Amino acid sequence: MTDGLELPPVLDLIAAPGLLEAFVGRRGHELAVNAAAVQRLGAQCLQVLLAARAAWAADGQTLRIENIPDDFSMTLELMGVTSADLAHNAFTDGKELAA
Amino acid sequence: MEDPMAAIRETFFQECEEQLAELEAGLIAMENGTAEVETVNAVFRAVHSMKGGAGIFSLDALVRFAHVFETALDKVRSGDLAATPPVLAVFLRAADVLADLVRAAREGGSVDETRTAALVEEFNHINDAGANAPPVPPAPAAAPPPETTDGLFEDAPQPPVWKIVFTPRPELYAKANETALLLRELSRLGEMRVTLDAAHLPDLNVLDPEGAYLTWHIELVSDCDESAIQHVFEFVEDDCTLEITPPVAPGFAPGTVITGDNGFKFEFFPPAEDEPEAEAAPEARAPDPTTEAPVPAVKEIPVPAAPKSPAVEAMAAKAETAAAVSATIRVDLDRVDRMIDLVGELVINEAMLSQRVMEAGINRASGVAMALEELEHLTREIQDSVMAIRAQPVRSVFQRMPRLVREVAAQTGKQVRLITEGEGTEVDKTVIERIADPLTHMIRNAIDHGLESTEKRLEAGKPAEGTVKLTALHRSGRIVLEVSDDGGGINRARVKQKAIENGLIAPDAQLSEEEIDNLIFLPGFSTAAKVSDISGRGVGMDVVKQSVTALGGRISIASRPGRGSTFTLSLPLTLAVLDGMVISAHGHTLIIPLGAIVETLKPRAQDVFPLDREINVLALRGGYVPMVDVAASLGYCDQFVEPEQSVALLVEGEGGVRAVLLVDAIHGQRQVVIKSLEANYRAVPGIAAATVMGDGRVALILDVDAVVRNARSEAGRVEARADLPALEAN
Repeated sequence: MTDGLELPPVLDLIAAPGLLEAFVGRRGHELAVNAAAVQRLGAQCLQVLLAARAAWAADGQTLRIENIPDDFSMTLELMGVTSADLAHNAFTDGKELAA
Repeated sequence: MEDPMAAIRETFFQECEEQLAELEAGLIAMENGTAEVETVNAVFRAVHSMKGGAGIFSLDALVRFAHVFETALDKVRSGDLAATPPVLAVFLRAADVLADLVRAAREGGSVDETRTAALVEEFNHINDAGANAPPVPPAPAAAPPPETTDGLFEDAPQPPVWKIVFTPRPELYAKANETALLLRELSRLGEMRVTLDAAHLPDLNVLDPEGAYLTWHIELVSDCDESAIQHVFEFVEDDCTLEITPPVAPGFAPGTVITGDNGFKFEFFPPAEDEPEAEAAPEARAPDPTTEAPVPAVKEIPVPAAPKSPAVEAMAAKAETAAAVSATIRVDLDRVDRMIDLVGELVINEAMLSQRVMEAGINRASGVAMALEELEHLTREIQDSVMAIRAQPVRSVFQRMPRLVREVAAQTGKQVRLITEGEGTEVDKTVIERIADPLTHMIRNAIDHGLESTEKRLEAGKPAEGTVKLTALHRSGRIVLEVSDDGGGINRARVKQKAIENGLIAPDAQLSEEEIDNLIFLPGFSTAAKVSDISGRGVGMDVVKQSVTALGGRISIASRPGRGSTFTLSLPLTLAVLDGMVISAHGHTLIIPLGAIVETLKPRAQDVFPLDREINVLALRGGYVPMVDVAASLGYCDQFVEPEQSVALLVEGEGGVRAVLLVDAIHGQRQVVIKSLEANYRAVPGIAAATVMGDGRVALILDVDAVVRNARSEAGRVEARADLPALEAN
């Protein structure tokens, strides 16, 4: 079963605790994250997204990031990340813990 | 709960106000030739800080404009651009636009896009001109390019590559700074490659969402100098680890790919099409020659991190010193107001206690009475200290005036120089807020009506540039503000003629020079042959007078033909307490502001002349002054008291207009705490405010100007009827 998570428009330092909680609560399941509404991304939410990706990879679960707006992509790129770095496909990428 | 971001945003706007003031002051100092080296830096920092803050709140228009402004300022700072008068004129106008953009961002609304666009265009010219200036010697040493593996770019000039390692600490984010914005700012300096090091990122379950675990390795291809990079991080340098390595050998390609302990890596390099093995052998990865700077790919050569430059050390030391010296805090004004109110209550309670002690017949020499006296001193001291908290220099108002002068000068085509003095003069914040409008109008008026046109000035042998001087000083427990110009002075013949035409005075009225000058404060009076957009239809000076009067202030004019005019405002230092004379009228206790009282006297029957049943005038030193029965004017009684049975107070209203107030008795003078009648009850004609006396009873504070105004209009009516000579003001 695939869980869903809608990202809020502003992913700043205030949003980080809630975002972390949302990921922690969905751990262990395949997750589809809808980024369509995201307008702003800060480094602390980026940390949560990266840690989530690592957690899903370690769990061997698929984490998808969908509907990434251009601005979101550009901010990711500015911070040295691509949208692919936030996702993990359990079938093609395998379990990464041992990598 | 209050939105923390809203509070931070509000702080940002407060800081913007300070920075705009600093910007304006700095630019004016540069214009006047009084600027020091640090002034240029301060001006740059002001714009830079506003840009940084605006970026956090996504105020894009503000960021864009601040950026072009900052670029030009940076050129001045680095000596690439001379701060000539035309350049400074653009800077000053840009400061105005920046202020508009800040205001629009804060309050909503729009700015004049055309004006902004025109200035951006001017900046582009300025910046281009700066770019054409002799270049500064390049900082990096011209080392020979290293051997390359592909030989493609052997002969191509190699742009310098800066290496920056940036590790934010949690405090950086807690202070509302943001890495993405810093990186965006950095990217403006040149082409940039960013590599994210997430090696210290913990497991999701133990991650602190407010922690900081990431490090960014940045390769910046730029001809900029180190200070430009440092400036990007200027406001976060205490909250991060920052290493800046200058380009030692231009052209080294980055080879670092950071791999985290938890098994993933991040790279910013766009995948090179001709390097399919890049993932497998990242160390040898080459940048995409189509998008990246032409730098040859070589094995990573570790470049030791440079120690912090002396400049960075100095800045850090300065920041520490500033933190130690600047022992100021921001306090919400409501809290201060609340404290002032409470201290006001304390003063009243102390007075009530004193009265009770006196009523109890306790000996003045007793310990209780002496302790009470000490309490009184202490209370007064606390009150003064609390009032000092809310006192502010008039600088904040004065700093708005240069812009006004520029705009009005441009509208009128006159050349104007504004001189300000006494900006540090302190006055209660409640007063400051209410002097801006009267001052604004007086300065408009001084330029529009006071100063002659350039041609007329030259004809009169004056310099083409007119001078308007704005001065603040403390005098006799009041603040005095003067607006003077070196124009033609008041044309009294014209003023009088106009007043006669408008039916304001009788054609044969004999007026002193002072009285003629004061005619310009009458409602609807205008001497401008042509109604202008700037000063309007002469309603302004009337409004100025009203607002000054409402503040418990006075306004007067001194004018010399051909030499100019001086408008003087005298205002109380605070609106919270008042020195007043305690009087009684028909059994009611009233307070008359001490500042309005000229003298007290006992009228003699032979000096009193009845004009009609209700109006008497008092002969006083060769003139006649209307007499006002205070009890009757406030409706306490219908019967008029006999003047010789009363105590008379000669009071002076605005513009030196005088009247004699008749009261039953004077009980002494004291400082009273002003309580707004409008806020607690409703406005009462003839009453300015109220206070609570020591016995707990409310005493009303007389609105002397309103009472005098009424008396004058009554007297004027009778005067016209009796065709009496005009009343002497002195």
